[in-house]
Amino acid sequence: MAKLLEVEDIRKSFGSTEVLKGVSLSLDRGETKVIMGSSGTGKSTLLRCVNRLDPADSGHVRLDGEEVTDANVNRMRQRIAFVFQDFNLFLHLSARDNITIGLRKLRKMSKADARQRADRELDRVGLSDRADNYPSQLSGGQQQRVSIARALAMDPDVLLFDEPTSALDPELTGEVVSVMQSLARDGMTMLVVSHEVGFARRAADAVIFMDGGHVLEEAPPKEFFSAPKHDRARQFLTAIGEGEAA
Amino acid sequence: MTDFLSFAVEYLPEILAALPVTLGLWVLAMILGFTLGLLLATGRLYGNRVVYGLSTAYVEIFRGTPMLVQMFFIYLGLPEIGIVLDPFLAAFVAIGMNSAAYQAEYFRGAVRSVPPGQMMAARAIGMTRMEGFRSIVLPQAMRRVIPQWTNEAILELKYTSIAYAIGVSEITARAEKIGNTTFQFFDVFLLLAVIYVILTGIVAQVLQIVESRTAIPGVNR
Repeated sequence: MAKLLEVEDIRKSFGSTEVLKGVSLSLDRGETKVIMGSSGTGKSTLLRCVNRLDPADSGHVRLDGEEVTDANVNRMRQRIAFVFQDFNLFLHLSARDNITIGLRKLRKMSKADARQRADRELDRVGLSDRADNYPSQLSGGQQQRVSIARALAMDPDVLLFDEPTSALDPELTGEVVSVMQSLARDGMTMLVVSHEVGFARRAADAVIFMDGGHVLEEAPPKEFFSAPKHDRARQFLTAIGEGEAA
Repeated sequence: MTDFLSFAVEYLPEILAALPVTLGLWVLAMILGFTLGLLLATGRLYGNRVVYGLSTAYVEIFRGTPMLVQMFFIYLGLPEIGIVLDPFLAAFVAIGMNSAAYQAEYFRGAVRSVPPGQMMAARAIGMTRMEGFRSIVLPQAMRRVIPQWTNEAILELKYTSIAYAIGVSEITARAEKIGNTTFQFFDVFLLLAVIYVILTGIVAQVLQIVESRTAIPGVNR
């Protein structure tokens, strides 16, 4: 059976620096994979190439067999949702309207239907009581949960997360991680750039380790964390405090 | 003081009779300036090289020449190539086109002050650049531009007085005429100044209310 998301031989340079040197990966429907690696190894760039926020120089991205191109990108982005590190909630809209605006403008949903859908998604991320609050009235963790609700409302096939907890105070990461875990349990297909080892252990089907613009290894979390195959991966795990003393 | 008050009581109605001309000129010029300014700003922000070049040239030319010169050019110069405008229309076009150059720059600055992540998030949910601009960036830019726009509105209200130079019978022209017949220039221009201060004060207050009414909850400005 064809994979839901196929990323094939993506290359991307910024100026003379080649950030991605031919990256391939794939996700089955319902799978969650976590991409790890030191900063500057192209993880976020890869994620942005998947939904063409940064178009790749070469390579292919296919969703359900359909290639993502400049021509269909706006439609495909509704199926490949993106959650940003710094949330990027629409600042002039309430939590609810951050969610309804896409439904109204892109799905042409009626006001009442969009509102109902938004409230359902807010409930899903545990923020029913915050629907009328504006982004600057919400904590970072709450903002990130609203942004996840905004992404979910478009009924995406795949959710991309770009370091969703990196901009949060440590005590706020838990609420975001637990929302992500429940999505994984519900069978959402997710590609997550994150250093949340706990999340990877509990929710990921595989960890993808990137280094220097390549995928160095891909393994189930248990295997990756206990017996990484590459030195670079071992060093990385030691650096983030997960490595076992050799 | 009592002299001034009795003078004011006597001549105020005569000056105020020209108020509709001043206010009409101002409102129409602001509308022209707003519409054209928004187009110019969009041209400078998103236009291709030709559109960008033309918008930039427009802004530089209209910012770089005195409004009085522009108005004389339109009213006295254009008839030579067959474009004849009556004084009110010429003043409206001159003030509006001049204001457009400034408003364009205010809009452009306001749009650029909206964090880039806003457009990125709009694109990420599948909006086109145009949709993202209209639904996400512009509503925020408009709020950010209000303080500068208030300044511009006040400035243009006072600038309507230059229409006097091509014979538009607005309040300054009316005051000057009263001065010429009464020779009480001190009183008449003092009275005129008071009228302008009250008008601009009202504009400032109203726009202040607009600003606070449209403020995004939780955002301190």
